[in-house]
Amino acid sequence: MAAVQWKLKQAADDKFCNDNAAEGRRMAEMEKLSLVAKALTPSPIQQLSYLAQRYNAINLAEGFPDFPAPPHIKNAAVSAINSDFNQYRHVQGICDHVARKMKEMHGLDVDPLTDIVICCGQSEAFAATMFAIVDQGDEVIIFDPSYETYETCIRLAGGVPVHVALEPPNWTLNLDKLKKSFTVKTKAIVLNSPHNPTGKVFTKDELEIIAGACQTWNILAVTDEVYEHITFDKESHISLASLPEMQKRTIVTSSLSKTFSVTGWRIGWAIAPAWIASAVRNIHIRITDSAPAPFQEAALTALSSPPAYFDSLRSDYESKRDCAVNMLAEVGFKLQFKPKGSFFVFAPLPENCTLSDVEFVEELIKQAGVVAVPGCGFFHTTLCEENSSPAALSYQRRYIRFAFCKSEDTLAAASRKLSKLVDAYAILVSRVRAIRLGRLVSKNSCFKVNSLISCYVAHLAILLLAQKSEHSFK
Amino acid sequence: MASSISTAVPAPQQAAVSTQDELTQKIPTQPLQVTKRLEKFKTTIFTQMSSLAIKHGAINLGQGFPNFDGPDFVKEAAIQAIRDGKNQYARGYGVPNLNSAVAERFKKDTGLVVDPEKEVTVTSGCTEAIAATMLGLINPGDEVILFAPFYDSYEATLSMAGAKIKCITLRPPDFSIPIDELKSVVSKNTRAILMNTPHNPTGKMFTQEELNAIASLCIENDLLVFSDEVYDKLAFEMDHISIASLPGMYERTVTMNSLGKTFSLTGWKIGWAIAPPHLTWGVRQAHSFLTFATSTPMQFAAATALRAPDSYYEELRRDYMAKKNILVEGLNSVGFTVFPSSGTYFVVVDHTTFGLENDVAFCEYLIKEVGVVAIPTSVFYLNPEEGKNLVRFTFCKDEETLKSAVERMKQKLSKK
Repeated sequence: MAAVQWKLKQAADDKFCNDNAAEGRRMAEMEKLSLVAKALTPSPIQQLSYLAQRYNAINLAEGFPDFPAPPHIKNAAVSAINSDFNQYRHVQGICDHVARKMKEMHGLDVDPLTDIVICCGQSEAFAATMFAIVDQGDEVIIFDPSYETYETCIRLAGGVPVHVALEPPNWTLNLDKLKKSFTVKTKAIVLNSPHNPTGKVFTKDELEIIAGACQTWNILAVTDEVYEHITFDKESHISLASLPEMQKRTIVTSSLSKTFSVTGWRIGWAIAPAWIASAVRNIHIRITDSAPAPFQEAALTALSSPPAYFDSLRSDYESKRDCAVNMLAEVGFKLQFKPKGSFFVFAPLPENCTLSDVEFVEELIKQAGVVAVPGCGFFHTTLCEENSSPAALSYQRRYIRFAFCKSEDTLAAASRKLSKLVDAYAILVSRVRAIRLGRLVSKNSCFKVNSLISCYVAHLAILLLAQKSEHSFK
Repeated sequence: MASSISTAVPAPQQAAVSTQDELTQKIPTQPLQVTKRLEKFKTTIFTQMSSLAIKHGAINLGQGFPNFDGPDFVKEAAIQAIRDGKNQYARGYGVPNLNSAVAERFKKDTGLVVDPEKEVTVTSGCTEAIAATMLGLINPGDEVILFAPFYDSYEATLSMAGAKIKCITLRPPDFSIPIDELKSVVSKNTRAILMNTPHNPTGKMFTQEELNAIASLCIENDLLVFSDEVYDKLAFEMDHISIASLPGMYERTVTMNSLGKTFSLTGWKIGWAIAPPHLTWGVRQAHSFLTFATSTPMQFAAATALRAPDSYYEELRRDYMAKKNILVEGLNSVGFTVFPSSGTYFVVVDHTTFGLENDVAFCEYLIKEVGVVAIPTSVFYLNPEEGKNLVRFTFCKDEETLKSAVERMKQKLSKK
């Protein structure tokens, strides 16, 4: 085998344009990747942001703020760097604060010495947890739609993700569906609340259902609570770990990132009973060894922020939510479900829109200069669904996620740009129908999304040019 | 089965114990790749020794991080980045400016031209570069060759990836590579060789001849090489050679490095992996799910650091050589057998002349009776017996600290 590959390499070097040799080398090179790496595909969220950059689009896609982090926290980081907090450290004070907050918010008694692991963001806390608890073939239940990373972490650890669909339009938990997803191989369930991408906050009743299932089947729960301080309409975030009998089987993960608008600092944690926390810690030490030292120090300041900070965080995000919801309503989205937490709106495409989510977002970038995330990346084919059929799952191509963790100026600018699009859009919709019918009938129809888009982009351009000559821009 | 995950923690209360047993029954008893394997990787030796050191007020020449700080120009760059609002998610595989700086530095060091966008991945320290490389490129059951003694995270990360470890022991006095032994362990299941040069803990630097031999072996058997080169700027007795620069090697090598050791900022956790695109792809996939992104302000500062003039690196080497002389002369005069260390800021010595039964016992004695910390090297071997005569000292401390430590040893360490 090695000799063949060596020969292929020689041929490729000698004759670079030799397709066979190059292909042979590509195949040989691909063999170097692990099976898991070969199965993974690049993040759809990241791909679209490259397109958005090219068009200089207003970014309502990526889930991080475009306004500055709070000054008192930045100052704390600067001060830490100046005070030489720059070598490997474990800042125990973070654990003390986190334990205190868990008591205040959820009434939980957490031992800061043994039950908390400081990690490089909630990302690493989650990855380390999966490696600590998931063995080859273990099943892990995830609610659908879900943040793209959970599934891949589970696979990396050798596990099998099992998706249970939350039901649109309100993303309700269906107890039967949940029950059907459990098998003897189920090791854990993942719960993200407040929820990305829907903005749902799981209710007490729903949490009780999930807790009951965990106990009946004797499984672990892993929660992602990064949006824990961003809830609206007087809704409170309830941690699954705070339900009776749940603390001993729950790993809570969270971070500074969303609460303190420092997504780039990579300070997060896992909270679990000591025997699980120590496994998570052992793995974390081998993945990164420690979280960035100056930011650990700054975390002490962040986590000591007074209640007023959290109150204004909530109210600021609530007005941004209202702004986003209004903006989308004006553009023609009918939002049956308003987000109760997180900083996302998961908006269903208007009924009369025949575009898919990806097609719509590409149009949005090119024509309106606004970017959002097509929802399809958050949905996964639900293997557990008895009645799954293309029609039943068609809603999975009908949602767009808009992030409103943006400054007022950004949201206002986005609103203006979107409203300009809507006039042309109504005409566009009927045009698209005509184009599609024509193509279906055509003998040479090769129904590729790209060519379709370029076709109606041309039409839209004509429409917009026509409009421009009639109206002056503000 | 509770022992498969738990470590030395306070005994849980009655109700929790029964739950723990119930829950651990879910974890299978056969030696599976993750939980069972990690049983032996409990609190690291470093943490244990550090706690003991604090308790006894001992001078810490154990843990490998400086007690002096990084250069001001790098710290200021980080502060500027924080103030400029660079506090949100960076691009997953690195801030473009840093990727370019890494590529530029690599070209200066090796002559190799790499594409910063396709061949450089920024990670949370070299530790994560190693983890991402293993998880992205190694399949369960693949054999990976390791040289003992080795940095303690290698074994654990290989276990996480489900690899089978084949270990070659490097022996004093010069810890040279036994090439014939290396050839004999290569099989059709061998996927990669993991190497570290300059080498922690021995300070050995792989020679041109040794690298040539390893390269031939890799090309002949189509193996990958994962090369941990974090101490490349602390090369004192000879020039550092990156194996990636040997003919036929770049296409099969992942070269890993970091900011921490070169710039005395070990807590910033900025590292990177340089590899051809087809290998980088695997590293990036694993990285994106391990940590997603690396700390943003530090990346901007790292780009500034890596563009430091040659004078910075020359001064770094001069400073460390002076520190090394203080320590090595001291250790020699006290009676240790000191093995020559060509690079890193570590030195290993044979302690047996002091009459303690093994390295752990000697280190405990050294802390309690002498007031100095060293690291027992048995933890760096698959078979701890192989390391029992050796301990590791570090000289990444200011000169006063080193002199005080040497004084204490002169006064209180006596041969038996």
